[in-house]
Amino acid sequence: MNHTSDTTSAGNGGNFAPRQAAALLDQTTQQARRKLAPSPPWLLATRAVAVLAALGAIWLSVRGQHPYKGPTGADSPILVAFIVLNFTATVAVRERAMAGVRGRTRLRPAEIAILVVAFAAVPVIMWALAAAGVSFALYPTTVLIVPGLAWAAIMGVREGWRGCSMGLAVAAVGVVGAFAGPAGSWAVAGVGLCAVLLGKAVAVARRQRG
Amino acid sequence: MTDDALDPLIHVPTRLKIVATLAALPDGDTLSFTRLQDMIGLTPGNLIIHLRKLEEADYISSEKTRNGTVSITTVALTGHGRKALDAYTQALRDLLGGL
Repeated sequence: MNHTSDTTSAGNGGNFAPRQAAALLDQTTQQARRKLAPSPPWLLATRAVAVLAALGAIWLSVRGQHPYKGPTGADSPILVAFIVLNFTATVAVRERAMAGVRGRTRLRPAEIAILVVAFAAVPVIMWALAAAGVSFALYPTTVLIVPGLAWAAIMGVREGWRGCSMGLAVAAVGVVGAFAGPAGSWAVAGVGLCAVLLGKAVAVARRQRG
Repeated sequence: MTDDALDPLIHVPTRLKIVATLAALPDGDTLSFTRLQDMIGLTPGNLIIHLRKLEEADYISSEKTRNGTVSITTVALTGHGRKALDAYTQALRDLLGGL
């Protein structure tokens, strides 16, 4: 339905049947939810498949290593391409959806600073753990723990319990990976993150349908 | 139950679209006038008329801020407006359930 004027009888509500109103309300609500979604289900599902493919490819290349040496030079482009594409697509879609939106949904500077510090702390913590001889210091899953907890804390303060759960789930993937061995932690990271992203995609899709 | 149970201020296609669009925002968020206009597909003049009616009933709130030389108007659904939309939605359900 395209209503551009209030001069028609329908525009004044005169011949606006309840059934028409219900259909318009439903259609407008779903459209608005789709257009304003910073993380739409299709993007989450795409990221889920991409993370599984990228980390799965690395797991396939390292699982036969005895002793474990880590990803080979050929794996690096896969990882870098995944990180760059993931980041770019996420930011681009989010910015488009959030154009003109102000308020609580947008991260405050202090929250952005906490996330930056959390990510910056990761190599420092991993280096410290490695120096202390901790076995899981250089596992890919170890990277997830601090940022996951930081996101959960930020969302918890905002009382955004879905976001908080997602942060905790990411951190949990990190903890589980610590028990999977160096090669297995790549599989845990891929499967775990894929499951978290798919779970969020389903939750967002359900919410959009109301 | 008759159509009279439906809030006449919301029971207008254009205003229903405005209210439903603003209700899709989380509590505490506002939407710029230009984005709302873009999402609903109205001329600025028409949108202003409808927003004024909704604001007079305290269904929406608007705020004008200056960013350098540009002024930005943002609008949001008030708590009163959200309750009115909920009541309207329930009245529609009751009405259609009775048909």
